[in-house]
Amino acid sequence: MIWKRQIPILIVAVVGTLTLFGWFIEEPNIEAFVNDDATQWYDILASFAIILGGLNLIKLQMQKVAKQRIGWQYSLVAIGGFIFAITAGFIIKGVDDSVALWGAHVTTEGSMFKWMFDYMFAPMSATMFSLLAFFVASASFRAFRIRNFEATLLLVAGIIIMIGRVPLGSVISSWFVMYLLVLIAGIGVNTWKKDKMITFGTVAVGLAAVTIAGMMMGWPVNEPGIFYLPVLQEWIYYYPNVAGARAIMIGIGLGIFATSIRYILGIEKSYIGE
Amino acid sequence: MKGLQDFILKLGQIDRRWIFLAIAVVVFIPILNPIGMPIRATDTTKVVFDAIEDLPANSKVLVSVEYSPSTKPENHPMTISILRHLFKNDHKVFVTCLWPDGQFMAQEALEEVAVGEFNKIYGEDYVFLGFRPGNEAVVKGIVSNIRKLYTVDVHQTKVDEIPLMKDVNKFSDFDFLFSSSAGFPGTIEWVQYAADPTGVPMSSGVTSIQVNEVMPYVQSGQMKGVLAGMPGAAEYEALIGQKGFATSGMDAQSIAHLVIVLFIILGNLAFFVERQRSKKY
Repeated sequence: MIWKRQIPILIVAVVGTLTLFGWFIEEPNIEAFVNDDATQWYDILASFAIILGGLNLIKLQMQKVAKQRIGWQYSLVAIGGFIFAITAGFIIKGVDDSVALWGAHVTTEGSMFKWMFDYMFAPMSATMFSLLAFFVASASFRAFRIRNFEATLLLVAGIIIMIGRVPLGSVISSWFVMYLLVLIAGIGVNTWKKDKMITFGTVAVGLAAVTIAGMMMGWPVNEPGIFYLPVLQEWIYYYPNVAGARAIMIGIGLGIFATSIRYILGIEKSYIGE
Repeated sequence: MKGLQDFILKLGQIDRRWIFLAIAVVVFIPILNPIGMPIRATDTTKVVFDAIEDLPANSKVLVSVEYSPSTKPENHPMTISILRHLFKNDHKVFVTCLWPDGQFMAQEALEEVAVGEFNKIYGEDYVFLGFRPGNEAVVKGIVSNIRKLYTVDVHQTKVDEIPLMKDVNKFSDFDFLFSSSAGFPGTIEWVQYAADPTGVPMSSGVTSIQVNEVMPYVQSGQMKGVLAGMPGAAEYEALIGQKGFATSGMDAQSIAHLVIVLFIILGNLAFFVERQRSKKY
């Protein structure tokens, strides 16, 4: 029991403490351990983890095929793909040693591994990701609804980002956006007052004001900047977005700190199965 | 009026396959027949350009490639443009990869730019160190001692035998870092474990979806600008004066975005008509 419980907890506590204090103490040996040795240990463990991961994948897929669970046919493809990749990586190089040595062959033109990457992995990977464009379009159409204030804010910000980020946004004049805003204001006034004369008056005054201002300024496409979509989207990226992202980052940082302390103190023991 | 409302409602219940078809059409047409919309460089892209432009000749620049074929249309044009800019200004380029697929992407970019366009000599003008597993531990390894982590390059040549690697032992020996990233491990790990602790300036090119995550680092000055998605890549192509895939892709992306916005407006119109009718009855 001591080997499965106390010793691993002790190792984690000691290594965790050393790593933590390595950032604060001017001790060359500890610094060398944190920056050098521990990093290399991690690299070695990560390399072995790839082997373990591969073996686990094969075990699970084979179990699925043996018990003929739902979708077992796909597992056959997974096993086939795995064996093919192992063969191309470790057994059949496909090119002579004069062209590429073992290890270098994976990215060498003419090798079996490179062929697999170019004609199987790359197209399939690109296809999966490309499908997102279609699903995003369909999902936006069905789910992006102006149900409340927050949803409206999200929708307006989303539209400004989508149009403002692309070249199309830079050809849309800020005056066009201002005319659009006047019409939207008209809808708002109509919903609020329910009086045609007031609505007409608001829209007429707004349109006239925009037109006069435009004529006086010479209708520059990107002025006033506050109504120019690329400028607006940059402002959204720089301020509201960064504020939100920072809050999330600080939250994550505090979470990582708390979890690390729990590991070091031996409170968190999920890594030994408790 | 009722007829119009019925029509809007009908459109609101359109089969999603029509939406898929519409997106496919609006993406394909501009790719086949580019419109050539004007590209306006944003501040974040200009900062990246200026940071590289201000590097003295023969600077040692580490380019880290962290993306796969899935995000190739966004990241690859950035990598190509950055390499063009670096080689044009006679900088020495060192390429590493935190993603296994990144090695293939980097090789493709180097063959196109270093070999195909600039006739650069391997080992003297650029080095391709390749991929190592370990995520952020690789970044830390490069920071402390790159030679322990990379004993050989992608061609299995000993690093000690590569002339360009002569005075390169750790991350602080580089003058600049550019990370072309599509996620973890990538830009954020480079900022946290390499650029920020050592003070080596860095810039990055990321996918559009990642911009939110990296923008705080850009605003705080920990990163010298960022190339944000395909628009960022197109802007960089415009700045270096060599149009590429990103520029041609921007027309398709512009129209696709516009169509998605139109779909959203249409969906909301149908939503309002439906809500009005349900209130009425």
